[in-house]
Amino acid sequence: MKIDLVDPVDWDSIIEQIDIEFGAGVTKSLLGNRVPVIMSSGSTRTFYAIPTDWMSSLTDAAETLDIQFVGKQLGSVDKGRFRLSLQILDELTGLTKSCIIVSRQGAEAFTYGRSIIKESVIELNSSLVRGQRVLVLNEDRECLGIAALSVDASKLNRLGADRLVAKNLVDIGWFIRRLG
Amino acid sequence: MVKKELRQRAKELAKEHGYLQYMIERYLTLWGEEETLRFIEACEKTIRTAIRVNSLKSSSGVVRGRLQKKGVTLEEIPWLNDGFYADFRNTSPGALLEHMLGFYYVQGVPSMTAVNVLNPEPGEIVLDIAAAPGGKTTHIAQMMQNTGMVIAVEQDRQRMNSLQSNIVRCGATNTLVLRGDARKLDDLPYEPDKILLDAPCSGEGLIPLDPTRKTSKAMADIRFCATREDEMLETAVNVLTEGGTMVYSTCSIAPEENEYIVDDILQRHPEMEIVKISAEFGSPGYSEPYGVKLHESLTLARRFLPHLHGTEGFFICKLVKREGTTA
Repeated sequence: MKIDLVDPVDWDSIIEQIDIEFGAGVTKSLLGNRVPVIMSSGSTRTFYAIPTDWMSSLTDAAETLDIQFVGKQLGSVDKGRFRLSLQILDELTGLTKSCIIVSRQGAEAFTYGRSIIKESVIELNSSLVRGQRVLVLNEDRECLGIAALSVDASKLNRLGADRLVAKNLVDIGWFIRRLG
Repeated sequence: MVKKELRQRAKELAKEHGYLQYMIERYLTLWGEEETLRFIEACEKTIRTAIRVNSLKSSSGVVRGRLQKKGVTLEEIPWLNDGFYADFRNTSPGALLEHMLGFYYVQGVPSMTAVNVLNPEPGEIVLDIAAAPGGKTTHIAQMMQNTGMVIAVEQDRQRMNSLQSNIVRCGATNTLVLRGDARKLDDLPYEPDKILLDAPCSGEGLIPLDPTRKTSKAMADIRFCATREDEMLETAVNVLTEGGTMVYSTCSIAPEENEYIVDDILQRHPEMEIVKISAEFGSPGYSEPYGVKLHESLTLARRFLPHLHGTEGFFICKLVKREGTTA
């Protein structure tokens, strides 16, 4: 695949999508001293962060070699929406307050691809709103994936025990489900 | 044992134990009957599961404690810092949360050993040829503490998925993954300090894990694999930087895929030299398999054998490319 530096306009759009949901400055922290690059396959564009000194040799390598993956995978854009890579979730956990903490049972169900119901929720920042993407953490504060809130956090206590709170978008059980 | 008697005995043993005759003939020639029988017996036993703790995500102490709480017992592997024999009892090793979090990788002891022998260090450029499913790639990244660059090359499109998935799961952020034929790396714009070539092979060492291997491969398959291994090793030697280190390994016990291949390389490339492996494991490589005299230094290579070491069969040879000798 061809590898390119990210167009500044595209990158601003990615920064906006990440920072709005996970906090101002989060994208900059995730990038650190690396440079963002992009690889495209069909309609999917995948963003990676690579050490700055890799760029010139990678441009040469891409002329003759088929690059599939490089450095730290940030996420990909498909149909206009940026989806975070599982690879950066650990790092993101230390940078954001957009989290939902779930019980042991809820955590297990989540890693099997299930969504989160009210009775599984241990903690949820009350400022978070419906539609917002949040990191799903277990009681040890380990990130299990990403979910989209189905309700405003401030209305959580009005829900019944079996009502949906957050829809599973991606979880670390994917590693097993993908590899069989 | 004269050849006719050997063939007859091989025929009997092959029939009795469900092997192809040519395999037993080779074992009898290599080892004699007593050791061949011990090999056959050992291949019926289960190989112990082992894991490598991924220090990019956790530590041995944490993983040991968490797995113990789940009824998993770990036992240190003497020559491997992060390697443990693991008894998961009735649990699937891949189904635990700690696995999903990338805290450990389920990996054969010989595979971990091959990377340990290569000894990748922070800041280096390391080439991992035939890299899928990524156990060795992520182990290299771990030993390099996510610095430098690990170039992982894989040709198989399906296996590419597992390679990338394991890189993501294990948190390796210093990899460059390339898809392509490892025999055509002449255009690689890097001079690797170290190369791991765990070559695709006939898998003759995997009989304890896959009993169908007793009958699934003919001698022609071994010859086919040997040709490909020779070509891959030739390419690896050519791209390795002067003064660089290489590990050639296979999960085959066939000298035709191991000692013969390395011996050919030593003859074609006087700049290459086998060096001693410092860790204590396995048994020496063969310098005279089937009575064919090969380079004496092949005894510095190491072999894992099911009947001697309780692992799958495996071959590991460490080579260096001397400086100032290439044209």
